[in-house]
Amino acid sequence: MCLPGNQAFFILKGTMSGHDSKYFSTTKKGEIPELKEELNSQYKDKKKDAVKKVIAAMTVGKDVSMLFTDVVNCMQTENLELKKLVYLYLINYAKSQPDLAILAVNTFVKDSQDPNPLIRALAVRTMGCIRVDKITEYLCDPLQRCLKDDDPYVRKTAAICVAKLYDINAELVEDRGFLETLKDLISDSNPMVVANAVAALAEIQESSSKVIFEITSHTLFKLLAALNECTEWGQVFILDALSSYKAKDARDAENIVERVTPRLQHANCAVVLSAVKVILQQMEHISSQDVIRTLCKKMAPPLVTLISAEPEIQYVALRNINLIVQKRPLILAHEIKVFFCKYNDPIYVKMEKLEIMIKLASDRNIDQVLLEFKEYATEVDVDFVRKAVRAIGRCAIKLERAAEKCIGVLLDLIKIKVNYVVQEAIIVIKDIFRRYPNMYESIIATLCENLDTLDEPEAKASMIWIIGEYAERIDNADELLESFLETFPEEPAQVQLQLLTAAVKLFLKKPTERPQEMIQVVLNNATQETDNPDLRDRAYIYWRLLSTDPEAAKDVVLAEKPTISDDSNQLDSSLLDELLGNIATLASVYHKPPESFVSRVKTVQKPEEDEEYLEGQDSGQNESSAPIPDSVVASVPANANRAASAAPVQPAAAPPMPDLMSDLISLDLVPVSEPTAAAPSGPPLPVIFPASAGQGLQISGRLIRRDGQVFYSLAFENNTTGPLDGFQIQFNKNTFGLAAAGPLQVPSLLPGTKADTLLPMLLFQNLSVGPPSSVLQVAVKNHQQPVWYFTDKIPLQALFLEDGKMERGSFLETWKALPDSHEVTRDLPTALISSVDATVEKLSSSNLFYIARRMLKDTNQDVLYLSCKVPYVSGKSIPFLVELTALVGSPGVKCAVKTPSPEMSPLLFDAIDFLLK
Amino acid sequence: MGLLFSRIFSSLFGEREARILVLGLDNAGKTTILYRLQVGEVVSTIPTIGFNVETVQYNNIKFQVWDLGGQTSIRPYWRCYFPNTQAVIYVVDSSDTERLSIAKDEFHAILEEEELKDAVVLVYANKQDLPEALDDAAITEALSLHKIKSRQWAIFKTSAIKGEGIFEGLDWLSNTLKGRG
Repeated sequence: MCLPGNQAFFILKGTMSGHDSKYFSTTKKGEIPELKEELNSQYKDKKKDAVKKVIAAMTVGKDVSMLFTDVVNCMQTENLELKKLVYLYLINYAKSQPDLAILAVNTFVKDSQDPNPLIRALAVRTMGCIRVDKITEYLCDPLQRCLKDDDPYVRKTAAICVAKLYDINAELVEDRGFLETLKDLISDSNPMVVANAVAALAEIQESSSKVIFEITSHTLFKLLAALNECTEWGQVFILDALSSYKAKDARDAENIVERVTPRLQHANCAVVLSAVKVILQQMEHISSQDVIRTLCKKMAPPLVTLISAEPEIQYVALRNINLIVQKRPLILAHEIKVFFCKYNDPIYVKMEKLEIMIKLASDRNIDQVLLEFKEYATEVDVDFVRKAVRAIGRCAIKLERAAEKCIGVLLDLIKIKVNYVVQEAIIVIKDIFRRYPNMYESIIATLCENLDTLDEPEAKASMIWIIGEYAERIDNADELLESFLETFPEEPAQVQLQLLTAAVKLFLKKPTERPQEMIQVVLNNATQETDNPDLRDRAYIYWRLLSTDPEAAKDVVLAEKPTISDDSNQLDSSLLDELLGNIATLASVYHKPPESFVSRVKTVQKPEEDEEYLEGQDSGQNESSAPIPDSVVASVPANANRAASAAPVQPAAAPPMPDLMSDLISLDLVPVSEPTAAAPSGPPLPVIFPASAGQGLQISGRLIRRDGQVFYSLAFENNTTGPLDGFQIQFNKNTFGLAAAGPLQVPSLLPGTKADTLLPMLLFQNLSVGPPSSVLQVAVKNHQQPVWYFTDKIPLQALFLEDGKMERGSFLETWKALPDSHEVTRDLPTALISSVDATVEKLSSSNLFYIARRMLKDTNQDVLYLSCKVPYVSGKSIPFLVELTALVGSPGVKCAVKTPSPEMSPLLFDAIDFLLK
Repeated sequence: MGLLFSRIFSSLFGEREARILVLGLDNAGKTTILYRLQVGEVVSTIPTIGFNVETVQYNNIKFQVWDLGGQTSIRPYWRCYFPNTQAVIYVVDSSDTERLSIAKDEFHAILEEEELKDAVVLVYANKQDLPEALDDAAITEALSLHKIKSRQWAIFKTSAIKGEGIFEGLDWLSNTLKGRG
């Protein structure tokens, strides 16, 4: 069909409005304008397709935020699919277009009143995901309505939205009374609403220091009723809330346990673990032993079932079980067989199983367990084999009656002559000797046969300890020790320390010629040839002890040692209780309290305590033998450092001694200089890059000044699960042009370890333009992680020059010469001058120098005048003339600064504020 | 021939939507007018933070009516809606004499917009049910409507509450649009 020309024109005109002619002449081509055009199409299908294209582009990472208004304009539609797509877009881009996000508000308000509950819930859910301050307030009314909606689906969605809103604006939530509404929802008739209200309240509680959510006997009843009816994840929320409830009495607790126990049969392991948590918590309040025994019996089968899941879940279950058996070994006492390792278990599951086997080993099952261990010790995986050998040793220390059997197994293993098995066996046998003195020394001969195969420091040190400790029973002890002594200077410190102690023991036990020569060599070596202060100090103590009173030396060195017990891998009881309260969370997998790795939790926590936990954790994960309480000087390798301070020297007259000793008395003691630590002592470094941001890598640091140079004192902490290495650092342009003077010296960091470093810095390398700012943007990378960016503040005090002191005369002149417009003042409300002398000294050690002082009679205030200098490009420096006015002893300092560069003064105020803290 | 053309024309025109913006200061009655047009009754409204959009069928024309929030904070975003607009309905609260000068400034700012240079303008002197309301002549004066050149415009006295004047305005609008089409 052929239309006349003008007819075709009219059709065209019909579809496109008159002034749309520009579409024919447009020269811009590209995806975005095309999408924009399609989004504004009057045809619904075309519109929907366009939104789908936009979402697709968004998903693959293209920036389509410039289409914000066009997409939002598609929001008011009857089409649910289209609406959902627009909502998805909004969630993604509202943050990048916070101003335009307001255009969506009215639609939310409308949708929250839609007759369709799905749309009401969708609106309220999306609202909660839009984290834009400007619009949160407008969304409160719809939220309020939805919390009281007739439809439970809307109510349960709104409940979660309250928690989200609390995270954005806690005050608003409190002011609008949403918390009360949420608490009311716990009594809701619908169990899913109850579960979500509980989840929301629990989450709010986590980020608040106030008590917001506490289960009362009334809510308890509601929760227990809802528990049986809601979905599996709802059950987890409710169970987690129940675990923090403190039962009034045993009956209350029993009632809860009775209602929770059926959850143990659930197919979802999260529900099972949460139920176990509740039961364990409530068991604390139950006194009847019968009830406890029955409960323990009931908890065993579900836990056993968890071990048959896939390896990842097994691992989580095993880490939790590890905690549970520490508290209640009874539960799984009869189930040790399920923890026997299968040949195809992944190594991480095997290691955990081994740990639990040790904890469950008893006189009754030890035969079976030892058979297992023995088999493991012949497997191929070296780490697993070592752990199995250690496990045998730990069982020997734990179970007195089984010790002999364990020794038998260890001897069998030594006979197979696999190098690392032998070494591992010797290490644990040393512990067994300490635990059961004078019982199994007959095997020393066998051990000595393997002397020359030892090449690991710990094994060597253990063997040397055994030789020294039992020197009187080993005929050729001197020969054996001598063979080690040849390489004394090259040995690691651990071995050197043991050699020193063993030589002393040998000498005290057999004061014959050869040991005498030997000890002279050792002491000489240890005091003069070494730069290890521990070794040197220990040698000096022995030396003096031997030369003043050999009998006392005997009492000290050969004193009886307290017995040891197997408490390695045993958590401190308060930590254990805390972790048990966190069963089925990451904390119970890491065996670390949540606040040590989740930074959002705002509970007040003393940093020192944190540190201790971490250390406790380290020793918990460290697979070494039991830490042995040290008995004065005759210590085992690990306890070298504490020996000196504990030695009780008796002031007795010196009996005649071999000639050698008299020489020693007159020996000049070299003053021992402090070891040069890599990181400075002083206040702990502030965290500049939290582990939560760095996927487990935490960086603390501060710019400091030392010997006229600027250093970046940094501490790297690896809280990830793998090692990190190849650290590098870069600095963005900054006001002072700070840049690294050399490469960053950070060793490979194993998980859970920390390294300190001092990075020398140069000034004026990459200067930024613009007003002075203390911002220092840092980028750090390593081989395992992406590049991390963070900002630190440049403390001006790190730049104060050493020659910043002014003469009084020139100070006065400069002060007068500078115009008043160059004077800036600020009040430092928290700064304190406790005493003028101390403050002056402290400030001058930071290169802020004292010039003069006067008293203000009427206010009793002291006025201090100080000066300092900060380097400035082209070799010059900026002087600062400072006037501090304060009442000594009470906080609040008024600080006035005169300087040719007043724009720098805010930085100076910060520095002074810091120095006066 | 002419008859044939107009028949084809009107049937084609009937299928398409005309894009209309309803603008005006906050509390002028824009949302009430929109729903008066759409559902024919007075609905209770709250300040529009954002926009409402409804399709209204009238005189064989489908109007896609965009009601934009009039609060100061939202006015800057009106311009996002200007492209492809055939007509602007400017609603004035005739009883709010204090803010008439603001209403005038906003109105003339809209007229300056390049993207709206082809749009016809319909002014509603709303809230005529209130005793202190100014009449259309006074509003014409206050908004300096006579300064408008090279553009079709009209003013109607309306009361959204009573439903007076609104459809008369829409009649004018549909006729004007048809005439231009």
